[in-house]
Amino acid sequence: MADPSIISNARFIYVNDNHKFHPPHSVDSHHIIVHRSVVKPIVIYLIALLLVAHAVFLHFEKGEPVTAVIWSFFFGAVLVKFFIWRPIVKESVIIMPEFGVQLETHYGSGRIKRRFIPVSKNLKPVLNEHVTPVTCCWCLSLLIRDENELTLVFKKFRPPLKMLVPIWKALCAATDCKESFEFQEDGQARGLY
Amino acid sequence: MVFGSMVRKKPITLSKSTPTHYVNPNWLQRISDISVDRAAQLVVDLHPFRSSEVMEFKEGRHRILMVSDFFYPNFGGVENHIYLLSQCLLKLGHKVVVMTHAYANRSGVRYMTNGLKVYYVPWKPFLMQNTLPTFYGTLPIIRTILIREKISLVHGHQAFSTLCHEALMHARTMGYKVIFTDHSLYGFSDIGSIHMNKVLQFTLADVSQAICVSHTSKENTVLRSGLPPEKVFVIPNAVDTTMFKPAPERLSMDPIVIVVISRLVYRKGADLLVEVIPEVCHLYPNVRFIIGGDGPKRVRLEEMREKHSLQDRVDMLGAVPHAKVRSVLNSGHIFLNSSLTEAFCIAILEAASCGLLTVSTHVGGVPEVLPDDMIVLAKPDPNDMVDAIKKAIRILPRIDPQEMHLRMKEMYSWHDVAKRTEIVYDRALRCSNQTLLERLPRYLTCGAWAGKLFCLVMTIDFILWRLLQLWQPDSEVEPVPDFKRTELKRG
Repeated sequence: MADPSIISNARFIYVNDNHKFHPPHSVDSHHIIVHRSVVKPIVIYLIALLLVAHAVFLHFEKGEPVTAVIWSFFFGAVLVKFFIWRPIVKESVIIMPEFGVQLETHYGSGRIKRRFIPVSKNLKPVLNEHVTPVTCCWCLSLLIRDENELTLVFKKFRPPLKMLVPIWKALCAATDCKESFEFQEDGQARGLY
Repeated sequence: MVFGSMVRKKPITLSKSTPTHYVNPNWLQRISDISVDRAAQLVVDLHPFRSSEVMEFKEGRHRILMVSDFFYPNFGGVENHIYLLSQCLLKLGHKVVVMTHAYANRSGVRYMTNGLKVYYVPWKPFLMQNTLPTFYGTLPIIRTILIREKISLVHGHQAFSTLCHEALMHARTMGYKVIFTDHSLYGFSDIGSIHMNKVLQFTLADVSQAICVSHTSKENTVLRSGLPPEKVFVIPNAVDTTMFKPAPERLSMDPIVIVVISRLVYRKGADLLVEVIPEVCHLYPNVRFIIGGDGPKRVRLEEMREKHSLQDRVDMLGAVPHAKVRSVLNSGHIFLNSSLTEAFCIAILEAASCGLLTVSTHVGGVPEVLPDDMIVLAKPDPNDMVDAIKKAIRILPRIDPQEMHLRMKEMYSWHDVAKRTEIVYDRALRCSNQTLLERLPRYLTCGAWAGKLFCLVMTIDFILWRLLQLWQPDSEVEPVPDFKRTELKRG
């Protein structure tokens, strides 16, 4: 039987550390970790290498100017940056009931950025549909007292709804607000109002 | 919102089955002048299905995506049509989602009455409320919306809407059934119309079904687009008779008040008003005019007022908010419509629902809207219109606003429009699924060069769609949970 505290898809892995601490349910951690594939970086580095090698060959054999080599380095770097290098490797939500919520962002360089929101400032967690000119996805945000804008729980990641729902439910329980939607087993939501 | 039940209309003589909307007998005289074949074709389309057939194939819920550049918070004929039709379809149990562009800072997902979901996609309008046409730019967001809402068919509105054309193109590429509703009449000779008609030919070359709001509009659409008439249904607009009611107390006949509410632009005949109003004021000292609306021709009307010293007899209200239209109509006896072209004209329906006698130009689909005893028609010529107003003032004492309102309630209802649209949806879903290669020959009929260009555009769209599927497979787009409204428990 699959561990209910781990959900994964092609891009993200969701881990819930509720049972790690004693006494249980004192601190609830939810982590979204970016999936690292092995094949993709090798392919991308090979393509970048081929690009640079081709430019160098053109420069030495066919007499192309050095700018071609410089451009090839530039494009190779863009390729690597876009497809491989991820500045953020993990985003976490640590819920401390009666105390507050801590949002953490773990960078690839080892730096960790933290933001603590005390329970008194936290009004409500909401699941919003975020519409851009090219796509539409779900995002989890917090309504913070005295702030005009919503605070996004995950700054860069857009995990799927099945990973966001347990985090949202845990946040609702921690902030003592009633859930506006009941999710049934078959994924249908019933609105109560 | 209260919806009437399925309405029964006056039978007509040319067909055996019961009609489902009012048909002006004078209009029938006109079609008898056309060749027999054409008349038969038009008569068949008056009511494609008999009432009994409605009960037979209730195929279950549809999931409809309405697409247009024209929606709330703008007010207008198309906007109201989409909103009211969507509300009635929701009442019938279908799921409706609306997609439009962002307005000012209104962007993202909004929910309206009864859970009507609206996507305000952040593509800013660039010309006359239309989204910038990018051909393939809207493919990703349309694909995402279609998959996550589990849409079964796409319904586009208004030929002038670029978002509608793009959405219908992408929906056809992805294999969805599409329906198009045309709300306006367009010309054939000026450069704008030629361009528009070509775009319409492209969109309608592969549409599943089309809807027009009047028979005149159907003729116009069929001629402009080359669409076979069998694919076009005529479903007239309706009016919310609960909102447009006559005043409880009948107004006194002195002074007689003539109301005009329209955009003051050339198309709506504002220049005719400039000629007609002084003449009528000269002939009838007890007549007053109330003019609601704004536009470039307002200056001309103000000048006319000054020139003939009619400041105490002609009131200019400026732009009238939609919620105030009823009170303005209730302050008058006669409604004057001077449009130079109209596919249907909901304004005269609203006026008739408020118990006003209508005087209108005999253009487009206007003769099909009201029975002869509720409307006086005139050619779009100042002298003819003055004669029509004289006739209207003569027959005004015989008009009973409450009786007129009750007749309108019987004749027009959005609930009926929704049921008929449901029939069109059922028909569309029964069209066969076709591959790209089977669909491409339809585009070739659009013209020698245009046909090949359109085929190329659709082929590139197909390739881009497949690439998008490789980049983000369909299974990665999560379906949205359905919004089910439960009844509030009191106590």
